[in-house]
Amino acid sequence: MVRPSRVDRFEEESIVLSTVDYGEADRIVTLFTLGRGRLSAFAAGARKSKRRFPGALEPATHLKARLVERRGDTYRLDAADVVTSFHHLRSDLGRIARSLYALELCRELTRDHEAHPQLFNSLLEYLALLDRAQAGPTSLIAFELDTLARAGFRPQFAPCLHCHRETGPRPVFDPDVGGAICGNCAPQFPYAVPAEGRVVDALSRLQEGERTPFEAAIRSGARDLLNLFIEHHLGRRLKSVDFLNQVGVD
Amino acid sequence: MTPDALNRLVAQLSKLPGIGEKTAQRLAFHVLRSPPEYARNLSQALLEVVDKVRLCPRCFSLTDGPTDQPCGFCTDTRRDDKVLCVVEGIADELAIERTREFRGRYHVLHGVLSPLEGVGPDQLRIRELLVRLESGAIDEVIVATNPDVEGEATALYLVRLLRPMGIKVTRLAQGIPMGGDLEYADQATLARALAARRDLEPRVRVR
Repeated sequence: MVRPSRVDRFEEESIVLSTVDYGEADRIVTLFTLGRGRLSAFAAGARKSKRRFPGALEPATHLKARLVERRGDTYRLDAADVVTSFHHLRSDLGRIARSLYALELCRELTRDHEAHPQLFNSLLEYLALLDRAQAGPTSLIAFELDTLARAGFRPQFAPCLHCHRETGPRPVFDPDVGGAICGNCAPQFPYAVPAEGRVVDALSRLQEGERTPFEAAIRSGARDLLNLFIEHHLGRRLKSVDFLNQVGVD
Repeated sequence: MTPDALNRLVAQLSKLPGIGEKTAQRLAFHVLRSPPEYARNLSQALLEVVDKVRLCPRCFSLTDGPTDQPCGFCTDTRRDDKVLCVVEGIADELAIERTREFRGRYHVLHGVLSPLEGVGPDQLRIRELLVRLESGAIDEVIVATNPDVEGEATALYLVRLLRPMGIKVTRLAQGIPMGGDLEYADQATLARALAARRDLEPRVRVR
């Protein structure tokens, strides 16, 4: 007697992180699901049929995904109902660039099958702000700090990681140690890079919940430190960082 | 034992997109059963496509004309020099051409900006487009990239580059497809269709 193969059908609230074309007509969709974290699902006929997943598989779309688990680790996307398409953000290059950066950051900082409901809601909230054109460059930095903390990679900007005193005017930043070190302790950290005191101070205040927009020079310094930190912990540079630079968005 | 020549053919055919081992075998047997003339013509066509077809130096569409000579789209004197349609790939160019509604020139980007794949402006034919536009002969650029996130990003990037040059930049309209059903349209499409609604012809008054 042939035993029927075990299939598990379920519905998950999800955000589309990215898609990759597969074969002639199919697509593999990476979803950030509320209950099961990141997972990749096979969407058969997604490129050919516009009726099957109408407008649902674009990055940043918030949807209810009906999935089928097949043989352990692989999933099939059966249907997708759009909750919010966040299509207004697609009318502005800066907002597109920031949304894709946020999606890539979440994709790289999460693991398959590990639920992160707080991170999911934080991403949803950030996409909604972008969609309403209420998120500027400082909001992206705040989102990054929040995402890093929720994923277990919170950088420390104050106090000094070594002596626990104020980081002062000439701190250094060591991504390996996990944050900022004051000028006095700096000689003990030969691989640390110099950082501006006002940048470290601004990042620390942003981490504490202050929401004052950064001026351009502070944003640029903060971007350099965060890029360095993320690259060090992921082992590679995020691809969308280059896009932010190419289109002149921070 | 299967002849080596047949195995080699199956191996080559199975490298084609969408062709698996079984289909490759079926195609190989079809070639074997067909008159020898068919196989010769097929191999000749394959060689010609590799040797003769190349990119047009002006619009980057395909051409099999003499080297350094522009393609048929670029040299056709009946086409309008003042309107340029920018497309992602050659398949899109052919789709627009099939409408028989567009009589301007083309420019093929050979891709779109794809931040998550690491594809930036330098990997597309954007620099060549800007050089073409410097001549000042083109009044309007129609951006015909796909209406997805990457296509939109590319269109907005082009707008940013071309507007300061004083060139009119337009985008293909987006909305409900012909024969479509409002009930099944997605939010974004319906919203765009509403935003881009148009006036109907004024009613003729009956006296």
